Amino acid sequence: MIEARGLSKRYGDLVAVDRVSFSVQPGEVVGFLGPNGAGKTTTMRMLTGFVPPTDGSATIAGHDIFADPLAARRAVGYLPETPPLYPEMSVEDYVHYVAQLKDVPRARRRAAVDRALSRCGLADVRRRVIGALSKGYRQRVGLAQAIVHDPAVLILDEPTVGLDPIQIREIRALIAELATEKQGDRARTVILSTHILPEVEAICRRVLVISRGRIVVDQPLAELTRGGASLEEVFARATAREPVEPDAPAAEAQP
Amino acid sequence: MRHVGAIAGRELKSLFTSPVAYVVLVLFAVLAGFFFLTGVLQFQDYVARLQAFQAGEQLAELNVNDHVIAPFVHVMGVVLLFLVPGITMALFAAEKTNGTQELLLTSPITIWELVIGKFLAAAAFVTLLVALLAIYPAILFWYGDPELNKTLTGLAGLWLLGLAYAAVGCFASSVTRNQLIAFFLAFVILLVLWMIGFVADLGAASGMGGSLGEWVSGTMRWLSTAEHFESMLMGLIDTKHVAYFAAVVAASLIVTKAAVESVRWR
Repeated sequence: MIEARGLSKRYGDLVAVDRVSFSVQPGEVVGFLGPNGAGKTTTMRMLTGFVPPTDGSATIAGHDIFADPLAARRAVGYLPETPPLYPEMSVEDYVHYVAQLKDVPRARRRAAVDRALSRCGLADVRRRVIGALSKGYRQRVGLAQAIVHDPAVLILDEPTVGLDPIQIREIRALIAELATEKQGDRARTVILSTHILPEVEAICRRVLVISRGRIVVDQPLAELTRGGASLEEVFARATAREPVEPDAPAAEAQP
Repeated sequence: MRHVGAIAGRELKSLFTSPVAYVVLVLFAVLAGFFFLTGVLQFQDYVARLQAFQAGEQLAELNVNDHVIAPFVHVMGVVLLFLVPGITMALFAAEKTNGTQELLLTSPITIWELVIGKFLAAAAFVTLLVALLAIYPAILFWYGDPELNKTLTGLAGLWLLGLAYAAVGCFASSVTRNQLIAFFLAFVILLVLWMIGFVADLGAASGMGGSLGEWVSGTMRWLSTAEHFESMLMGLIDTKHVAYFAAVVAASLIVTKAAVESVRWR
């Protein structure tokens, strides 16, 4: 469903993402972990088409992000780190607008908006102005926006950051629900970035760890923690600043 | 181009849910009323004085078009210089501060759809302003006998001027995330375009002659919005003026598109 082939992003001399390759099967829920600044957001932005990779490419639901960018973007629901909301709009108008942008056919738009709102628990606040909502509700609106066109792939960038513990629990439960939801005849594919480990344990079945722009772990969660090691230990070991190896050119490029 | 309507519609709706649209409309109406009233009163006073001096020849030459409507529309062109940047400053800048730029650029829309949608929203607002303004000369048709064609040509000139301003405003908003900077950038560009013709005249008057000087001042005059606008106010509807405004709109939108696109490559 998602196929990343040697994705790299350089900003001048800084290598933000270095030849990242992985593939995600339909229906998989993948936790994308890494310390701050490891390249999680940049990788997600490349997959969603917000920034083009300097090198490499990716295929989303069979559409290459360079050859057929519009089809690739149509297949993705994306919640950036800060939910992209217009504070002056009502919840309903906003989700409806996104449905228009994402090419939900006119005849199905009303129903798609209603579905997204009720899935995200927003039915009661649909006429409220987004700017007047609590942070937890805004995050829900962000999720509703991401699922309104029933995308095959859901990409969520730190969806619980900045929420209080109760909101975190609610949003996590919601994501777990959205992950099991059927998209057409198969389950939805989800990539979720976070640096909160319990979140991964609660939602994901597979873990990708990125550290300084490179994928350092790519394994099913069960396999990783099989030896009794906690995910925290695995994470700490994988992202530890190992000495620079002479045969690792990218590590040298790191500041 | 099917997303253009959605983008323009959202933009207009949000313009009217924020106070900006109303502030601009009220300022525009108040200023228009003020300039119209003073224009009419001055004209009346002038007519009364000419009558007192029995200057029949001059009285016969007087007409409402040249002495009331044209100066009025002209001064409103200056007012638009301030107001249109106020309408356009948020177009792209606010998307950046809201984080909604990320939504737009990851949606299956093209950047042209985005730019044209935004421009059309601003253009619709400008059209509303000009329509509002047309009420004042319309009053004169009630009491007097102005020339319809000349009046309409002048209003069309103001409308084209406003569209050009809207396009320049789009550009200014696309290069910054700060709305205040977008406002002043648009204002300064528009002011320079407005004044550049006068500068050319000053240069010519101070004797900067020669064929090169003439070519430069001619180009400067051609670039000037005021030059084309004033020709239309005198009732000249010439394709070269329409083409000028169309060129300003097209050029502004092309650089706006490039500016929006450039975020991808940073």
